[in-house]
Amino acid sequence: MSDMQAKLRETAKKLLESGEVGYIIGWGKGRTNKTSPVFVKEPAKVDELVWNEYCLNTLAKYTMDNMYPEKKIGLCVRGCDSRAVNRLIQDNQLKRENVYLIGLPCEGKKDPVTGEMVKKCIECMHHNPLEADVMVGEPVQEKGYPDRFKDVEAMEALSADERYEFWAKQYDKCIRCYACRNVCPACNCRECYVDQYRVGWQGKQNNRAENQVYGLTRAYHIGDRCIECGECERVCPVGLPLMKLNRKLLKDANELFGEYEAGMNTEVKPPLGTYKLDDHEEYM
Amino acid sequence: MKLAKNKLQQAFDLMAKEANLLVPMKIEGVTKFAPWGAEGELAMDAVNTLLPPKDALFPQTEKMYKYKTRLTQVESLEEIKETDKQIIFGIRSCDIHSIDCMDEVFLTRGYVDSFYSRKKENLTTVAIGCTKVLPTCFCDSMGLNPVAAPTADVQLNDLGDYYAVKAQTEKGEALVNLLKPLLEEGDGEAAALECTLKVNMDGVQKKLMNVKMFESDIWQETAQKCIGCGTCTYVCPTCYCFDIEGKECGNEGYKFRCWDSCMFSEYTRMAGGHNPRPSKKERVRNRFLHKLAYFEDRYGKGSLCVGCGRCVADCPVDLDITMFIDKVGALKEAGSND
Repeated sequence: MSDMQAKLRETAKKLLESGEVGYIIGWGKGRTNKTSPVFVKEPAKVDELVWNEYCLNTLAKYTMDNMYPEKKIGLCVRGCDSRAVNRLIQDNQLKRENVYLIGLPCEGKKDPVTGEMVKKCIECMHHNPLEADVMVGEPVQEKGYPDRFKDVEAMEALSADERYEFWAKQYDKCIRCYACRNVCPACNCRECYVDQYRVGWQGKQNNRAENQVYGLTRAYHIGDRCIECGECERVCPVGLPLMKLNRKLLKDANELFGEYEAGMNTEVKPPLGTYKLDDHEEYM
Repeated sequence: MKLAKNKLQQAFDLMAKEANLLVPMKIEGVTKFAPWGAEGELAMDAVNTLLPPKDALFPQTEKMYKYKTRLTQVESLEEIKETDKQIIFGIRSCDIHSIDCMDEVFLTRGYVDSFYSRKKENLTTVAIGCTKVLPTCFCDSMGLNPVAAPTADVQLNDLGDYYAVKAQTEKGEALVNLLKPLLEEGDGEAAALECTLKVNMDGVQKKLMNVKMFESDIWQETAQKCIGCGTCTYVCPTCYCFDIEGKECGNEGYKFRCWDSCMFSEYTRMAGGHNPRPSKKERVRNRFLHKLAYFEDRYGKGSLCVGCGRCVADCPVDLDITMFIDKVGALKEAGSND
C-alpha cells in the first residue's frame, strides 16, 4: 500500500511540475483514521496525498465544480470512480479531455471506526479502474459479486404489506439532508427537482409521505444510471439501505432490457436513455 | 439523593405518567431521544445520540397555524398550541448547553417565539454526566464539563450501581419530589472526565470576528470538499434555521415550519433568483462563522458550537470543524494566508 502511495505522489508531482494538470483530486489525511478529499495544486504539497485502506470517498463529482478548467484536472480513480467518470461524461457533465485519470487498483476499503471492510467494497464488481491515463500499481484480481441481486430477491419474496412496512420504517428515519443525492455521480442535474421550490414538486415537511416521495423519485431518476458505487448508502447518517432500492431498479432494467451495468463505458447508452425497436412495449 | 439503577424503569414509568418522557433510544439503528415505550432499545450508553434532542423544542416539522377560507374571506384562523409537558431524560452537558443557546435565539432580543417558549416552559431536563467520551467529543475545549451541566433541571451522575440525583432548579425539585418514593439517601461525586479530542479556541473567535477574515483564502480551501448536504446542520444541536411554508387542501390549510439548512442552495435564494451565497465557499463560511463568531457577536454568549462532535463524526467528506479551528488558530493574524 505504501509503495503505491509513494508512486502516487511521484506521479502527481510529475503531472503538476510538467503542467499537464492544474490540480489533483485525491485523498488526504483526516484527524483520525479517516481520509478526506484533497485538492493539491503545488508539486511541493503532493505529500498531502494518501493512499491507504481508508480512502472511502468517490471523487469524480468534484469535477463538476470546475466544468471549464484551464488545465486538465488530475483525478485519482479506482474502479468506482472510473465508472463515475463515465457516468458524468455520458450525462454531458464532464469532457474526457478535461481530466487526467490516475488509476489506482483497489482491493476494497475499511471503515475507519470499525476497521472492517465497508459494505460498498464487499459488493464491488470492478476493483480496477476501467479507464486511466496512467496506472499506479498492478491490477488486482476481480472477484465479482454473485450476490448482486440477492437482497432484492429477498425483498421481492415479501408481501406488498411487508415491503411497505419495511420501507415505511426506513423513511420514517430519513432526515432529508440530501447527502445521498449530493454524493451521487448519477445525481448530476444542475438543479435538482427538490430545489425547484416555486414548482413545489417536493414538499418540505419531514414526514413519511414526503420522505418516501423523495426516496422514490431519486431512485427512479437514477434508475438505469446508478453505477452501484454505494456511496449513497455509506453516507446516509441514519443508515437507509438505499442500494436495495437502486438494485431493484437495476434488476428490473436487466430483466426488461438485457444485461446492463452503468458506467462501464461511454458508448452503451442507459436502457431508459435510448430505445430499440425490439424493446418491451407492454405499456405502449 | 440517589437512584438505584435497577429502579430506573420504575422511575421512567413514574415520569411517563406525568409527562411525555423522552429517553435515549436506539430505533432502527438510529440513536435519538424518543418517547419511553417506543419500539426500540434503551440506549443509556450512547454517549451522544446520533440525532440531537433539539426536536423536542424545535421539531423538524411543526404546524403553526390552521385556517379555513370561504371564497376570499378567512373563516377561521387558529394558532396551533402544543402544551404537553415533556421530560428529556439522559441528556448530556453539550446538549443542555445547546438548549441554553437556542433560548438566546428564540426567547431574547425583543422577540419571543411562542411555539418555542411554550415547549420550553413545559420542559424539564434531566442531565446525566458522561462516564466515557467518544473520539469526536470536544465539549471541554468549548468551555463545558462532561460530568456537570449547571443549567439542567436535574443532574444525574453515574456512580456504578446508582445515580447521584441533584435538583438544580425549581422544576428539578418538583421532579425529584415525584421520584422520591424511589430515591434513597446518599450522595457522591462524579469522577472528572476529559475529552481526548482537544481543540484550542484561544484567539480563534477574535480572528474570525476580524472583518479581514471574510475574504480569506481559507474559505475556498476549507469548502472545496464540501458536497453541500445538510448532514452537519441537521445533526447539530444548535442549528436552528427554519423555513415556513403552507399546505392547502380545498378551503382549508395550515402553515408549518421545518428545519432548513444554510448548506442548501435554495436557503438564500431570493424571490428574483439572485443568490447572495452562490457557492459552497460562501455557505461553509457562513456556517462556521455563525458557529464560532456571529453568535458571540450577537448574544455575547461564546460559541454556538458546543463540542458534541456530531458533525465531525457524520460528515460524509470529513469536513471537520475542529481541524478548521486549529487552522485558524495557526494563522499568524486574521486575514493572512499562512
